Order: sequence, then C-alpha cells, then structure tokens
Amino acid sequence: MSTDQLTDAPFLNLADPTFSVQSDAVRQAREASWFAHTSYGLAVLRYDEVSKLMKDRRLRQGSWAWPAHNGVNEGPFAHWWSSALLNLEGDDHHRLRRLMNPAFSPKLIGGLVPRFQALANELIDGFHERGRCDFASEFAEPYAARVIAIMLGIPEGEWKKIAAWSNDIGLALGVTLKQDLAKVEAALEGLYEYADELIADRRKNPGDDFVSRLVLAERDGEHLSHDELRVSLVLLIFGGMDTTRNQLGLALQTFMKYPDQWKLLAERPELGKAAVEEVMRVNPTVTWVTREALEDFEYQGLEIKAGTTIHLLSESAGTDPRVIEGEPFDLTAERVPHFGFGGGAHHCLGHFVARSDMSEALPLLAQRLKNPTIDGIATWLPLSGNTGPIFLPIAFERG
Amino acid sequence: MDVRVDYGMCQDHGQCAIAAPKVFQMDDDGKLVYDKHPDDSQRDEVEEAADVCPVQAIFLDES
Repeated sequence: MSTDQLTDAPFLNLADPTFSVQSDAVRQAREASWFAHTSYGLAVLRYDEVSKLMKDRRLRQGSWAWPAHNGVNEGPFAHWWSSALLNLEGDDHHRLRRLMNPAFSPKLIGGLVPRFQALANELIDGFHERGRCDFASEFAEPYAARVIAIMLGIPEGEWKKIAAWSNDIGLALGVTLKQDLAKVEAALEGLYEYADELIADRRKNPGDDFVSRLVLAERDGEHLSHDELRVSLVLLIFGGMDTTRNQLGLALQTFMKYPDQWKLLAERPELGKAAVEEVMRVNPTVTWVTREALEDFEYQGLEIKAGTTIHLLSESAGTDPRVIEGEPFDLTAERVPHFGFGGGAHHCLGHFVARSDMSEALPLLAQRLKNPTIDGIATWLPLSGNTGPIFLPIAFERG
Repeated sequence: MDVRVDYGMCQDHGQCAIAAPKVFQMDDDGKLVYDKHPDDSQRDEVEEAADVCPVQAIFLDES
C-alpha cells in the first residue's frame, strides 16, 4: 500500500469515553477503508477482513499484556490473568482447551433447557404484576448468575455472592485497574476459596455437574491441576456472568427498536435461536475482539509490525453492507455468522450454554412482556470494549 | 471411518485441528483440510472434534 493510502486511512479514537462503535464516524470509516488507525493500534471494520484476521495464526489473543500495560506485573491478579485459557497460546492453550471442552459439550446442554425456562419464568413472576422493572437487576443479572449456579451445581440462592465477586473482578478490565487492584484481588481470593471448596467436594462426591466434569477431565493420562482448575473456574464464572447479563439487556434494547420483531418472537418462539444470533450480530456486548501481531507481516498491502494491537470490530463487521442485505434486523433472514463469540482458537468456550440459555429466555420474555418501552432514564456502559446496560427501567403490558 | 465437513458451514475456526490434529489441519491460508477416511484409532479424537465444532459442521459415518 502506498504512503498516501496509509495516511488517508481514517482515524478512530477508541480511547475517547464518548466514542461509539455504532457512530456515523465508524460507518463512514468502513466505507472509506477496511481498517482505521486508532489511538491504540488498528481497527478492522469490514466483514471479510474481520473474519480472516480473527482466525489468522500470525496474531495472538490481544489482552494477555493488559495487567502489565496497567503497571501490574505480579501478584494474584497477574498470575490468574496469565494462566487463564484466554491468554494462553499454542500447546499450552490447546492442552487446557481440550481438557475443558467436554464440560461444555452441546450434548450436555439439552437437559438444562427446562431449568432455563423455569428460571426465566420465576424471575418474570417477580415483577410481572407491576408492569415495570429494572430489566438489568431484576432479570438479566439474576438470570445470568443463576444459570452459572445451575452449571456449577451450587444452590441457586448463592448467586448474589458469586455475582458480587465477579463484578469486582470486572473492575480489572477498566483503565483504573491499578487503583482498584486491592478490591480485584480480594474478590479473586473470595472466588478462589469458593472454587477450592467446590473442587474438594466434587472430588469426594462427583456428580454430573460441570465442576465434577472438570475435576474428572482426563486426556492421555493427564488431568487439570488444582491451580488450573481454580483459575479456570474463576474465568468461567467471570466470563459467563457479565457477558450474558449485558447481552440480554442489549437484546431488549434492540427489540424495543423493532417492536414488530418482538411480536413475531412471541408468536413464533422457535425463532429464539435466530433472535440470539441476530441480536449478537447488530448489538454484541463484546464490541471488539483484540489481537496482537506475533510477527511482522503484510495484509492486503498494509504492513503490520509485530506487537501491533488490532481491534476487530464485531458490530461494524456484522452490519457491513457488503454482506448484509434487506431489513437491518430480521429474525427470519438468512445471515452470515456474526463475531459476538469471537473466533478461531479462542472462540468462546461457553457459547453453547450462552446460546441455549438466551434462546430460551427471549421468547418467554416476548410472550409475557408485551410492547416494552423505556420507563425513565436508562444508563449504559460506553459503546466500546464490553458494553451493556447498568440500569434499564422498562414498562410493559402484561402478556 | 468416514468423515465429512460441510464446507458451506465451516468457518475455519480450527477447533477440530486442536481436538484431532492427525485428521484435521489448517493450511497456510488458514483453510481447513482433512482426512475423509481416517483410521478407526482416531475415532475418539474425531468425535471430540465434531462435538466442539462451533458451527457443528463435522459429520461422522453417514450412510
């Protein structure tokens, strides 16, 4: 690529708190170029390039150096982060992934569907009479947390404890990590102790829950070590909680924009699966997936240097007019796959669970919460990084 | 055993190549290549690959 084209490529300031992945600036940049320069590396904007770079083996998962970037080089958080599956590569990653995969098998999810449905209905019962609720705290959060409790085989009443630790660990993803470190590490310690008790219990009394499956996981005579087990359990709790909570809130936001599609979902609950895919295509909680170049290489004429951070913009790719035609949001349309679960070696491990639990919840919500509208002032995380509602007051007609 | 990958569904995530590297590999362009008739000794690995495929595009022993 010529120097002119390089300097002509658009610039997006991803670090600006008012930056939005859904802004006109991103749309215009996507028309001008497949990539943009940013305040921190590159942003990739179009479907085909995001799809290819997501799986390109010259790139590693991009968040591994996050603690070090924020001045945290040692201690429990740095250890947890660097040993977690998300941040491992190559043989270390593959060994751990293979030991963990069977616990997430799609074969094991079917039996949980009635529990997901019962949970969704119980939570809706809690506010249905009122005709209004804070969807974030009264549905999305307890649903996400209690699904995790079901998976772990712990009493569902314990969800608040798990959710509080998980929220505190979430502070580690903010730029104030260093100031919040004591709180993050206290939460990590709490979750580790909880995980240790669970592991010890399942070693003695194995069941068919997911912790037992991880404890018993074996391949070629190898097992997960105790440290791997506790690190992984904390990652799974943390990774499954906020993402599902946020994605459910974002789903409701999208459906409020397209009320005909909400009515359609209520009439045709079998569209629940399509609803999850379509929402994650146009309004994903993970607004970008990061990668880091392992070597110098050229891609479509662009020189990419080793160490460059590359943001793969999932919503921009998912709404790219080069691959998406027709109505902007349509549960009955045939669509290309979205990137809401990332892709490649680091493709979300829990996606079968997430797809199943959300595809059960959404049609039940559509049937019982008719014509939902915003009822007050909703507050949202920035439309960048991992996004979602903080407070989502809605009113609805009872169905 | 007989293995078939639906290339219309395959997204080249490469999870199968992690699960059963002797049967599934990613080529230099990141595209999946695989052995359509692997030895029966690979059955556990191939079943695991089919199970973990994010788009469920791997099919075994169809007749």
